Amino acid sequence: MAGRPIYNPDGFKNVEQDGKACGFEFQFKLQYYRGITLSIIRDIKVTIDGEEIPREDIRLTVNGETFTLEEARTVVSPLYRWEFGEYATVTVAKEGGLAKGAHHLSVVQHIAPSYMPFPLQAVCDADFEIA
Amino acid sequence: MSIKRSVSSYSYQDEYYEGKLDLEGILRETAKTGATGIELLAESNIKQFPNTIYDEAFREKWFGWLKQYGLTPTAYDAFLENHIYDNRRLCLGEQIEMMQRDLRCASLLGFSCIRTLVSTPIEVIEGSLEYAEEVGVKIGLEVHAPFSLNSTWAQGYLDRLDKPGSKYRYFGFIPDMGIFSRRVPDVVEEKWRRAGAKEEFIKMVNDAYASRVANGFTKIEYSLDLGFANMNYRNANGLGTLTEKFKEMGAGPADFGYLNSSYTYSWSDPQDLIDNIDHIIHTHAKCYNTHEDYTETATAIDEVVAAYKKAGYDGYLSTEYEGGESLRDTMIVDGIEQVRRHQEALRRAIEG
Repeated sequence: MAGRPIYNPDGFKNVEQDGKACGFEFQFKLQYYRGITLSIIRDIKVTIDGEEIPREDIRLTVNGETFTLEEARTVVSPLYRWEFGEYATVTVAKEGGLAKGAHHLSVVQHIAPSYMPFPLQAVCDADFEIA
Repeated sequence: MSIKRSVSSYSYQDEYYEGKLDLEGILRETAKTGATGIELLAESNIKQFPNTIYDEAFREKWFGWLKQYGLTPTAYDAFLENHIYDNRRLCLGEQIEMMQRDLRCASLLGFSCIRTLVSTPIEVIEGSLEYAEEVGVKIGLEVHAPFSLNSTWAQGYLDRLDKPGSKYRYFGFIPDMGIFSRRVPDVVEEKWRRAGAKEEFIKMVNDAYASRVANGFTKIEYSLDLGFANMNYRNANGLGTLTEKFKEMGAGPADFGYLNSSYTYSWSDPQDLIDNIDHIIHTHAKCYNTHEDYTETATAIDEVVAAYKKAGYDGYLSTEYEGGESLRDTMIVDGIEQVRRHQEALRRAIEG
């Protein structure tokens, strides 16, 4: 049986700049039970087809604003929470984007709710196609 | 007056996550179960927290729904995010400010108490009591497994906060019924079995749990270092010995997974509720799996309700369904049906 969906099935795509693919993006939901300030995201680790993406090549977009993971450390505004049940968009800089065809994505969401003795680490895997 | 029933919005987290229920939907489903109270995790179910709560138009909608569905706001679950920045813990004044924000939000939405977590420093509660009294909202410290009443941990709070003076009447406890678990929930056992835990190890974990229930758990000591407090507590209750035995017997990761999970549940004597009745302001009626015959897999509903009746408790039992976390990786969780069953189980115990 299938578990609870994590990713937006329509959210996997290459991103372009000046008509050239410069990366890819995906959308997923927080694996927790409440919305959080971005400041308690300790990390988002992205591995695509076995290749680990450097932290500085990752951007997070919520409510129309885009942050690096470094910037997210200080985002506490009520306007830019990662709301429970809503997708955040992750954009990954990668020259040429992803080739057409099948890909495997593995992302770990590290978040640190203050009351937890240890941070949460949720492994989120997906297989998808780039058309 | 008798014991009343409420539902925590936490129970419908899978439905909310999937977009099957919005905030109004949660209230509608709650009312359908016959509960008359609603407990809210504002940070889960109200977007752009806390700004939206300050918006009068939103509050008009909220109170309209409460009237429409015949619900009374019971408890507001606060999360004292005192590590909101990764490079420091908020200082005392900042933490009090945050607790006051939550007291204000709770008051604006008509709640008479907030739930604060076991990790809340005593000083933050003490520093917020005057404001709590001003807005008429009590601060309830959750007593969640592995913590317990009648322990040095609980006593630490009472020593400081059970004093003469009207503001001190605004502090109390919110027991979570996970502290009255007679066994490890069946859904948790099944989850680890699916992950590959072997029958001989599952049996050892269950037998050890049963023997802790029979002989009594060693209670947790007060410490703000929750990781440290937890490890001491676990080892005092035999985790270290069992871990060694598991290693010798060649246990795998799923066997250890089940072993460690079993230490997040505990058994307290329901007499603890009677002893502390003057301090209890609300109750989380935790549940993990209520079967078709209205028996709950782990929590001692009948004993807890009997103790509360004896003590004359007229507060709420608020369903907090948590079984979904053992299921959602492999199936779609039905929180609506679980809450319905659990409310019926509570009703039978209260009215029976």
